[in-house]
Amino acid sequence: MWHLVSEPLQVGYMRRAFAEVVLLGVFGGIVGVHVLLRRLAFLTEVVQHTVFPGIAIAFVAGGSLATGALLSGTLAVVLVSIGGGRRRIDPDALMALLLATFFAVGVIVVSRRPGFQSDLTALLFGRILSVDQRELIDTLVVAVICIGALILCHKELVLRAFDPLGAEALGYPLGRMDLLLNIVVMLVVVVAVRALGTVLVVSFVVTSAAAARLVCRRVGSMMAVAALFAVVSGCVGLIVSYNGSIHHGWRLASGATVVVALTVGFVLVACGRWLADRIVRSSARERRGPHPAGEVAVTS
Amino acid sequence: MGDVGPALVLDHLSAAYDREPVLHGVSGVVERGGSLALIGPNGAGKTTLIKAILGLMPVVSGRVEVLGTSASRARTRVAYVPQADALDPEFPVSVLEVVLMGRYRAVGWLRRPGRNDRTVALDALTEVGLADRADDRFGTLSGGQRQRVLLARAVAQRAELLLLDEPFNGVDATTTDSLLAVLRRLRANGVAVVMSTHDLSVAHLACDEACLLNRHQVAFGPIEVALTAELLRATYGGSALLLEGGATVVAR
Repeated sequence: MWHLVSEPLQVGYMRRAFAEVVLLGVFGGIVGVHVLLRRLAFLTEVVQHTVFPGIAIAFVAGGSLATGALLSGTLAVVLVSIGGGRRRIDPDALMALLLATFFAVGVIVVSRRPGFQSDLTALLFGRILSVDQRELIDTLVVAVICIGALILCHKELVLRAFDPLGAEALGYPLGRMDLLLNIVVMLVVVVAVRALGTVLVVSFVVTSAAAARLVCRRVGSMMAVAALFAVVSGCVGLIVSYNGSIHHGWRLASGATVVVALTVGFVLVACGRWLADRIVRSSARERRGPHPAGEVAVTS
Repeated sequence: MGDVGPALVLDHLSAAYDREPVLHGVSGVVERGGSLALIGPNGAGKTTLIKAILGLMPVVSGRVEVLGTSASRARTRVAYVPQADALDPEFPVSVLEVVLMGRYRAVGWLRRPGRNDRTVALDALTEVGLADRADDRFGTLSGGQRQRVLLARAVAQRAELLLLDEPFNGVDATTTDSLLAVLRRLRANGVAVVMSTHDLSVAHLACDEACLLNRHQVAFGPIEVALTAELLRATYGGSALLLEGGATVVAR
């Protein structure tokens, strides 16, 4: 069994891929908990598509993909923040519109190149196996800064997610706090986009936090579990895709396999939770006997 | 602390929502330790008035003065108590963490609540009779218990003015008694209380003064003067029903 793990670790590009998955797992898991608490999953989806024209232009012009992603992601976040403050604009409609428009611009840019199909594939689904040292350092630096900011503002961000009117009544600047979180979400997408492409990033952020929510009762433990879940499932995905492709000729695209591994992990956690609930309930019934004598909750 | 002047002064206050005026001409004073019930049908402007006192609603004309200063300046000394039902019961937060939120402004940015804050929060929980539930998840409590936790949060904030949104809506008798006792204790310590409510009997129990609203002020004054059948009919229109013996029933 061990050789399934040890063998890919001897390959340089796989070592870097594992490192990237670990970094993105921790980063995405922690940010994902905030995304889930604030119900920003759709925003994450939008941002990951709106960075596409930026990396498309950078790619065609031969510039830095990360810079391109940063610029168009920032533009999208600014537009969402401005539009979200208007009562007459439905925020979901605005985001859907931005998603489609930005993505269309990216497709137009890329498809002007001859033989664009393979370029498009790389931009959409990423190239996790060709992550280099510099990209790893970029991911690390951005992750440390963003996680630091989230830790420093932790209690305020949680209050804002739990009770927005209460937070506003206490005088907290909701607009600026939302902007901070939107920027962090955008930065996760930007650093993850080269490895996972513009379509798959959302899974790292949303799936791990959703799995953690099934088993945790506190925000702090949710973050730890989400990060761990993303790291473990991500590495399992890499191992499966490596061994499947090298030894069995399955040709499993690594980024996509990682995403499927996260989803499978989520389903397993959900099933485990369901089973645990059933067991707890049936054993509680047995203890109480046919007539429940427990405290009756008065609900309003 | 600005201990001069009344807790709340409303002077011909009019507020608008997206340039649409929703509340006209509210005038009245709540003294420190005083209590005011905001009474009126749905959409009458009760929530609007609470938001104006919190400085979260543009005041078109007139004036609102909170604790001797402007609404936005007084914010940290004012506690807002939402309806328990307005908060997500699935949110992964413990009862004690919710009460500690009342301490956040005193704790400040970048810092975590300390031992003293925990003591204050636990004392507040004890006062509403829920200290034994401190570590439970907020959403596992009943509606009435959650309402008591939210009042404990306001107590922990040590505010000088409490604004409560329908605190007695659909709560059990234990909660009603607990809320009334805590509000009485706070008022004895000089804290002023303003609450919106549909429940006229609870308004009588909890408040000395009432403000009848239906997009404009119908009445403002001592509760026995303000809550007359005639004024209630003027507030609720056809949905107020006069019963034998002088009791008035109003539909929500």
